[in-house]
Formats: sequence, structure tokens, C-alpha cells
Amino acid sequence: MDAYRDQYATVFGDTSKVQLLAISVDPDTMQAAWAKEKGYTPWTFLSDSGAVVGTAYGATRAIPNGLLDNRTLYVVDKKGKIAHVMAPFREADPTAYTELQAAIKKASGGP
Amino acid sequence: MRVGVSIGTLVLVAAGSLAAQQPAPPPPGPPPLAVGVEAPDFTLPASTMAGLSAKPVHLKDLRGKTVVLAFFYKARTKG
Repeated sequence: MDAYRDQYATVFGDTSKVQLLAISVDPDTMQAAWAKEKGYTPWTFLSDSGAVVGTAYGATRAIPNGLLDNRTLYVVDKKGKIAHVMAPFREADPTAYTELQAAIKKASGGP
Repeated sequence: MRVGVSIGTLVLVAAGSLAAQQPAPPPPGPPPLAVGVEAPDFTLPASTMAGLSAKPVHLKDLRGKTVVLAFFYKARTKG
């Protein structure tokens, strides 16, 4: 998440045109506390505590004491269609952010 | 080798009878969605660094915007 924060303007661009939603099985209170602590802005965290959405998107896997989401990233275009999939999203690889930036620009129809 | 095979067979037989008696384990989750399909709609509780949001986020309400859905492990983990 630090990488999203530090490269937000470059990768995601205009917040009026692109919305980043970060989804995990954590309770919303935990996500909010973490976002505040780390200064995670301007995006939104979503709490998928039942892993229903993660399962629908093929991101959730079972672990011995519950469920977790793999790092999986989707770009959804203005019409609500999946435009780009990164599964897994290689969060430590700088080229993953270049790929994401290009996919967002393409989906947004911008330059 | 022969002993190994026999034990293996025994284990298989035991596993088979167990499977017959107990419900099957949950299947692994479906694979990631493909490009071009409609993103499954959802409504989820939302928060930002300003705190809990009064309104949940409904994916369909964001039509007209490009939306990036980033699934991640857990709060307080890297990435």
C-alpha cells in the first residue's frame, strides 16, 4: 500500500476519473485505523469480511484459520467491464506499476 | 518398495472410506475473471483515512469512472 500512496498521482492520475478501491477481509475499523496511521489517501478501503466479493473475483484462498485475498488487481472500465487483470499483482516489481498505469490510461481512453 | 506400496494402498483405501463418510472439502476458489466480462456488482462497507464512511460503496454507482479493484492480504502487511 505504501507504493500506491507514494506513486498515486503517477499511476492512478486524476481522482475525478479513476477510483482505487483496496479490498481485504479485514474489518472496516481496522482498515480505517491503518489508513489513518499510514496516511493512505486518496483511495477507499472496502471490508469484504465474508470474502464474498473476493471469491466472486477469484482472489480469495483458504488458509488454515480462515480466508485471505491474494494480491489480485482488476481495472474496470467506465462501462463496468473488466479491462485488465493482474493476478498475481507483483507489488514489489516496479514494472507492475508501469503496466497498471498503461492499463488505466487505456481503459480511461485518455492520453 | 513393496511395503511402501502397501501402505500407500492402505492410506488410499482409508482416505476413500473417509471421503465416503464425510462431506468433501470446499473446492478451491474460481480462477480470476477474464478481460471483457462484466465486473460482478457488489456493495461493501467503506473507509478512508478520515474514518468509516457513512455510505457503503456500490460498484454500479461508479459507472463512468475507471475503477481499480486491488485485493490485498491484510491490513498491516506489505503491499
